[in-house]
Amino acid sequence: MHAMVIDDSRAMRLILKRIAGQLGFEVSEAANGKEALDLLAAADNPPELALVDWNMPEMNGLEFVTAVRADPRYRGITLMMVTTEGEQSQIVRALAAGAHEYVIKPFTPDAIVEKLALLGLVPNGAVA
Amino acid sequence: MNHTTPTDDDLRVIAEQVWSSYLDLDGASPLIAKPADAPSHEVCASVSVTGAWRGHVVVRCSAAASRNAAAALLGVELDDVTPDDVTDALGELANIIGGNVKSLLPEPCALSLPHVLVHGESGYPQVMEVCGLEATWLDEPVTVSVLESTVVERVG
Repeated sequence: MHAMVIDDSRAMRLILKRIAGQLGFEVSEAANGKEALDLLAAADNPPELALVDWNMPEMNGLEFVTAVRADPRYRGITLMMVTTEGEQSQIVRALAAGAHEYVIKPFTPDAIVEKLALLGLVPNGAVA
Repeated sequence: MNHTTPTDDDLRVIAEQVWSSYLDLDGASPLIAKPADAPSHEVCASVSVTGAWRGHVVVRCSAAASRNAAAALLGVELDDVTPDDVTDALGELANIIGGNVKSLLPEPCALSLPHVLVHGESGYPQVMEVCGLEATWLDEPVTVSVLESTVVERVG
């Protein structure tokens, strides 16, 4: 399984890479939505999971989610927003744009694992 | 969510959650809501909020605290922390705290990307402090402030 971590913060990419790696994902990373779309276009096989920050330069997470959902090649990617945007209205916007799950920072590894288990991407009881 | 002005208590809870999630995973070195003996603001990270509420969320700390934060967040040895690590780590802390503060403010608001100054103080003219936290982490000072702009926006 392949996961892509998309966040402009190197620290946050590292944290999410560590969690996904411990869950058995092979992990790639991008610093914004545009870089992630470029990686997707160049990839032989798109990832099964993308962990997407919202506020990023060049192309933000909502724009990325919208672009991915509009492209049938990427239908198989599960999109999980991982962001500080905690307002209900923002969550609704992200889900309406096509995000499958939403995690608000700060999060614990357990919160990520729990959401991934709900999505069927890791077994129940997995530990990161 | 009831949107009101955030309080000192709100800010303390947010900061403690951030610390326990990323900087104090084993609970051995919590953020303590008590002013440090020797306040120091060598590193200043902030995010700005615009929209229905305008202002800034500012995290200030000593150079030592910023290096400790970078080491903890990035999982590197203290001696290996670079200036870029400090900028990235403090920026992300300001971003997370700012985002959580924003969820307590009137909607709609937007959060800027973080801005980090090392050995320099960002100027925030025409603001008033809405709430603040003076804390100590690993015996080093950390402060968080929510500053509301007092500038009246002109329309037209």
